[in-house]
Amino acid sequence: MPSRDEGVTNWARWDNEGASFLDWYRNTVVPPKAIFLPPMEAMFGFQKDKEGYHLELLASDEQKWLIFGIRPCDAKALAILDMTFNDAYEDPYYLAKRKQGVLVGLGCTRPYDSCFCTSLDSSPTDATNVDLMLTDIGDKFLMEAITDKGRELIARTNLAQAATKADEARAKKAKQVANSKVTRKIDTRGIGEKLLSCFDNKDYWEKIAAKCISCGICTFLCPTCYCFDINDELVKNQGERFRSWDSCAFPIYTKMPVENPRQEKWRRLRQKVCHKYEFYPLNFEVIACIGCGRCIRQCPVNWDITQILDNLPQAQLKLEKC
Amino acid sequence: MTVSDISHRPRFLAQGNVYLPHLAVIDKTIDETYDTRTFHFNFKDEQLREEFTFDSGQFCLLSILGVGEAPFCISSSPTRQDHLECSIRQVGKLTRALHRLGEGAEIGFRGPYGNSFPLNFLKGKNLVFVGGGIGLAPLRSLIWNVIDNRDSYGNIAIIYGARSPADLCFRYDLEAWDKDKTVNMVTTVDKGDDGWTGRVGLVPAVLEQVAPSAKNSVAIVCGPPIMIRFTFPVLERLGFTPEQMLTTLEKRMKCGIGKCGRCNIGNIYVCRDGPVFSYAQIKGFISSEY
Repeated sequence: MPSRDEGVTNWARWDNEGASFLDWYRNTVVPPKAIFLPPMEAMFGFQKDKEGYHLELLASDEQKWLIFGIRPCDAKALAILDMTFNDAYEDPYYLAKRKQGVLVGLGCTRPYDSCFCTSLDSSPTDATNVDLMLTDIGDKFLMEAITDKGRELIARTNLAQAATKADEARAKKAKQVANSKVTRKIDTRGIGEKLLSCFDNKDYWEKIAAKCISCGICTFLCPTCYCFDINDELVKNQGERFRSWDSCAFPIYTKMPVENPRQEKWRRLRQKVCHKYEFYPLNFEVIACIGCGRCIRQCPVNWDITQILDNLPQAQLKLEKC
Repeated sequence: MTVSDISHRPRFLAQGNVYLPHLAVIDKTIDETYDTRTFHFNFKDEQLREEFTFDSGQFCLLSILGVGEAPFCISSSPTRQDHLECSIRQVGKLTRALHRLGEGAEIGFRGPYGNSFPLNFLKGKNLVFVGGGIGLAPLRSLIWNVIDNRDSYGNIAIIYGARSPADLCFRYDLEAWDKDKTVNMVTTVDKGDDGWTGRVGLVPAVLEQVAPSAKNSVAIVCGPPIMIRFTFPVLERLGFTPEQMLTTLEKRMKCGIGKCGRCNIGNIYVCRDGPVFSYAQIKGFISSEY
């Protein structure tokens, strides 16, 4: 459930009391991916004794989650992450937590001016990727069960009343109003081809990378960024292997003993943009951006991905060089 | 057709948690050069020792628990599978720690991962192996594989070079291939020393001198990126098409299974879609990201 701590909105356990967040909640700073792919997560433990190493899987997380108030864009991001974590080899940590989760979506009424979800096949009231969708109709919510999990939730509550025609009309109106409030737009038609055609346009990428300070916040707070690092920790004869969020913004991310394919900042930023808008669609047929605007709101130097995509240079003849 | 499509051998797939390494024990170490050592090892678990299979070109993630994990190619051949081999150069924290391990030490193993050299595509063809330095390691797995099934392949040429005589790896293999009448073995060094009586010259230049025919041939190239970059144009001049040139690439990796993100070249993940690629597949990216 969204919670506010020193002015910063984040996900927190419900305190079993009110839902005052409804008054001020727009979206969290840290996306809900952090619940399924935590910033740091132990993968397994190990011990060393005279006979050698002993591996031990840490107790699996059987806890059930209900995320109340997830925004449609963030729910879509989880569906995008599922593709990577289900691909070829299943990721046991992410998927176990995901299976235990129920998503109760809450349509946006006050999108930020940095939001652009309507350009990415979604909207502030898109119910596609949640189990249960709530729409604020003034003094109450219209609930729509989207999945079996959602239907089960409705069946278990005694607070729900059958919606009237008037309620449905109010919800429809509320959705229209919300959708019209997302004013920022990008044109994603042919975006992959456009990016491919200016892949070698070093001047453009250098120009857009000039002010970036490679802090990585746009990737850490991105709901669809999933890159991680794996490291070991050892204290005396006992240790853990853990994974933690990583970012393509850092040179060490791709550093090898002799070479680093993305040592320069412009190459790293190009990777970030192309991964989301060119490579991910090639592999999974969906753009790995949901238009939540976090990377725009949180960037310390006002880097803006929508401007980068809008101003892509016109296609030019690509020179092949070896 | 992608390279990974033409290898049909059933794969060994680890069950359960893919991130959990299998424990293996080092049987033997061989010093290749002053900074490179080959480790022979075997799984601790007897059943796994029996069931484990891999293909030439695949890689694994080796770890010392508590130190870290990194990808290495399996340098032994699946045709000689009483143990596995990895040849490791000291370049960082983990590889230095690995070099401190002796016989009996335990390591973690995940894999095998990635695609492999397309044996069905190579069968009946003349093979030209072009290797540089420790880049011979993945080629060596395929070379022994091919020699152990000698009748299935045409002529074999191996052009191998290193910076100096002291940098030549797998000297015992080089000798064996040199003695093998069915193999044209050419060894070269960038710079000789007092004791060196062999050929001197950079690998791409020596390749141009040896000038293997492109007819019904496939070139398999592995070495430092700079060598790879200069070798492809030579092969093109010799008449090899991009489809007739294979290489195996190396990137920083963490997961080995296409999730952690860093080993991509465009939308291709070296760990999952590679590490074996034809030049046709990576041509467009070789200038900018490799």
